[in-house]
Amino acid sequence: MPFVRTTLVAIAIAAFGLFSPALAQDLRIGLSAEPTAMDPHYHNLTPNNSLLSHVFERLIENDEKQNLIPGLAESWKAINDTTWEFKLRKGVKWHDGSPFTADDVVFTFARAGNVPNSPSPFIVAKGKTVTKIDDHTVHMSTAAVYPLMPNDVATIMIVSKKNADGASTPDFNSGKAAIGTGAFKLVKFTPGDRIEVTRNDDYWGAKPKWKTVTFRPIKAGPARVAALLAGDVDMIEDTPTADIERLKTEPKVELSQEVSNRIIYFFVDHSRDVTPFAKGKDGAEIKNPLKDLRVRKAMSKALNRDVMVSRVMEGVAIPASQFLPDHYFGVSKKLKVEKYDLEGAKKLLSEAGFPNGFKLTLHGPNGRYINDVKIAEATAQMLTRAGIETAIEMLPPGNFFTRASQGGPGGVPEFSFILVGWGSGTGENSGALRPLVATFDKDKGQGASNRGRYSNPKVDQLIDEAMKTVDDGKRAELLGQATDVAIEDLAIIPSHYQVNTWAARKGLKYKARSDENTLAMGVTE
Amino acid sequence: MTIADDIVAPETPEAGAIAVETPLRRFLSEFFENRLATLALVTLAIIVVLAVIAPWIVPQNPYDLAQVDVLDSRLPPGEKNAVTGYTYWLGTDGAGRDLLSAMLYGVRISLAVGVLSGLIAMAIGASVGLLAAYAGGRVEGFIMRVVDLQLSFPAILLALMLIAILGKGIDKIIIALVTVQWAYYARTVRANALVESRKEYVEAARCLGLSHARIMARHIMPNCLPPLIVVATVQTAHAIALEATLSFLGVGLPQTEPSLGLLISNGFEYMLSGKYWISFFPGIVLLVTIMTINLVGDQLRDTLNPRLKR
Repeated sequence: MPFVRTTLVAIAIAAFGLFSPALAQDLRIGLSAEPTAMDPHYHNLTPNNSLLSHVFERLIENDEKQNLIPGLAESWKAINDTTWEFKLRKGVKWHDGSPFTADDVVFTFARAGNVPNSPSPFIVAKGKTVTKIDDHTVHMSTAAVYPLMPNDVATIMIVSKKNADGASTPDFNSGKAAIGTGAFKLVKFTPGDRIEVTRNDDYWGAKPKWKTVTFRPIKAGPARVAALLAGDVDMIEDTPTADIERLKTEPKVELSQEVSNRIIYFFVDHSRDVTPFAKGKDGAEIKNPLKDLRVRKAMSKALNRDVMVSRVMEGVAIPASQFLPDHYFGVSKKLKVEKYDLEGAKKLLSEAGFPNGFKLTLHGPNGRYINDVKIAEATAQMLTRAGIETAIEMLPPGNFFTRASQGGPGGVPEFSFILVGWGSGTGENSGALRPLVATFDKDKGQGASNRGRYSNPKVDQLIDEAMKTVDDGKRAELLGQATDVAIEDLAIIPSHYQVNTWAARKGLKYKARSDENTLAMGVTE
Repeated sequence: MTIADDIVAPETPEAGAIAVETPLRRFLSEFFENRLATLALVTLAIIVVLAVIAPWIVPQNPYDLAQVDVLDSRLPPGEKNAVTGYTYWLGTDGAGRDLLSAMLYGVRISLAVGVLSGLIAMAIGASVGLLAAYAGGRVEGFIMRVVDLQLSFPAILLALMLIAILGKGIDKIIIALVTVQWAYYARTVRANALVESRKEYVEAARCLGLSHARIMARHIMPNCLPPLIVVATVQTAHAIALEATLSFLGVGLPQTEPSLGLLISNGFEYMLSGKYWISFFPGIVLLVTIMTINLVGDQLRDTLNPRLKR
């Protein structure tokens, strides 16, 4: 250990010598993942959305707890069951000096869902008719009642019609079309190296403190921490949990944390009668034990969430009881975190006809979520103690998600028991319920990520009803009820909510966000 | 048969003769002249013995998930297990495995994979190389071009590709290592067999009308063995290093049954936070294992190479 310390000190000294401290108005941020493009409609991915929020703005923005706040729209309201009116902010200028008007909004919603070769398009822009009423008023209408209109609108960044009309994604990457209204202007996007932005001095809102901000993608966790300690960057996102304890005692560093909207959970195969990765103790084929609620309950009881949080996540997570942490819209008020009860789990397994347990394989992604491999390993230990002999197989994320969604015969999900995570992009509970536990239905656009093929008419009916309810209080209650039914039936087995940690040099403060975005606007001195 | 045998091993002493200097004795005495190699051989022998008897001497079966508890994770060396009172002499890793037990099991896997893949690769490579040298012509051309092609790929790249196609598991790792390594053996054996097959004793055997298979296996092959043994030691060390690399990259063996490479990889992220022991001890063991094999291999080469004979 002294050796490690000495080495670190040596590295730090060397780095300080090489890189003189940046000027007080410059900010350098180490990112954990690189944005794939500077086109705000190309790829619906957290690193992209986070970075492009500096350059572009939405009609409605999310605050750090994902509450909706006015952005380019000063106000919005439903004027009838299917139409919403947005009053646009006046006097806003694009980075090239031209004024922001309703034409830009109409153009944006026509473009957002239709970017060629998009790996993950903004489909929420579709199915909405956007009409210009005057220069600063637009109406958006849908075919049926749609209470989530503001949440959807809050995901689409507005681009300038003048600059983006006919522009391709490379035009954005070169900076030519990347003209926004945001607090920063894009200076240069150098893939694999850095992204530079500079302050927009004509910004309509509160002007940020930083004159220039440089974002540097540093994928490896230890390297990111080393860069911060060396003074090579001022702040890093996604601080590895292994280093947090040490960084807390480091006088040069300040941490900020926030519970994220991302839950880490397990899905079991709810649909097949024989599931390929559940076998008898002797390796013989058995009927799918995971369809039995008692087995699922036993698994949930065998999972020691406190140990998961304290040992595996090193204290940087929160035990989960449902799809989203308690302060979100539409969550259940009565669900509690399942207590660890090994004897109860064994008893339930016996009642379900597995007094000696069975064999199961847990599949998961390798490096997608914080500590995913370690979570899987700890889960396997806990389930094995209860009698479910669990093996784990962690796959590269791309490979895992394809197989987990459609790798089985006939395009069904391949695995029996998976470790996955979900961050509700809309910042409310229907953003988790509809894709995860509503019956899989391509045409209806529901259950798209229902990799356990869970299907419960009661849950479906409650979700459908909620989606037709414009009244917020009423809708929150319906979504809460749907959550109760789904979790009591263990449609998913929740483990914990991720907590994200940002680390900055002493003197800097970051307003940590639940949507995992890293925004220079939130950094203060 | 007697004639042939006499030709193959002309210096074999008569049975019962008072042989002060048999080839084996000469070989051994020459080998042990080098102190470093002797030390390496002894160390290697200790490691092998420990690895073989590991299941009976370790306090914990690190692959039995019911015995490993994440509550005990990342304990520094010398901490005690709260339940059984056993001392974790080398600490525990991120999953709560006793590092000493995990390392001994890890060495077991590393050695088994290295030796097994080495033996299979040697069997395949030697037969193919021998055939190429003996048959000549198109067969030789074809085989040796395949060998050239194989050797033109970086070993780690080829192994990664194979694992991607075959999937994970100890058998797949062995297949990948054999595929990567047989060509070295083939080339070595062919070169030696080419020289040997032009010698008089082979011609004599041919004149006697012995079958091709017999000439290859009983006459040429034994004379190709010394260089083959040297290549085999070096390649076994390579195989162990390659397996560790694959495991370090996370494509080797299952997470719950770590080999040395995976143990090192698991501890890597804790290096900055001062928990050095998780990577450090397995790293030392891997280093010592590979180094001792290489030292033994070097000495074998010096001893077996007739050109270096004094």
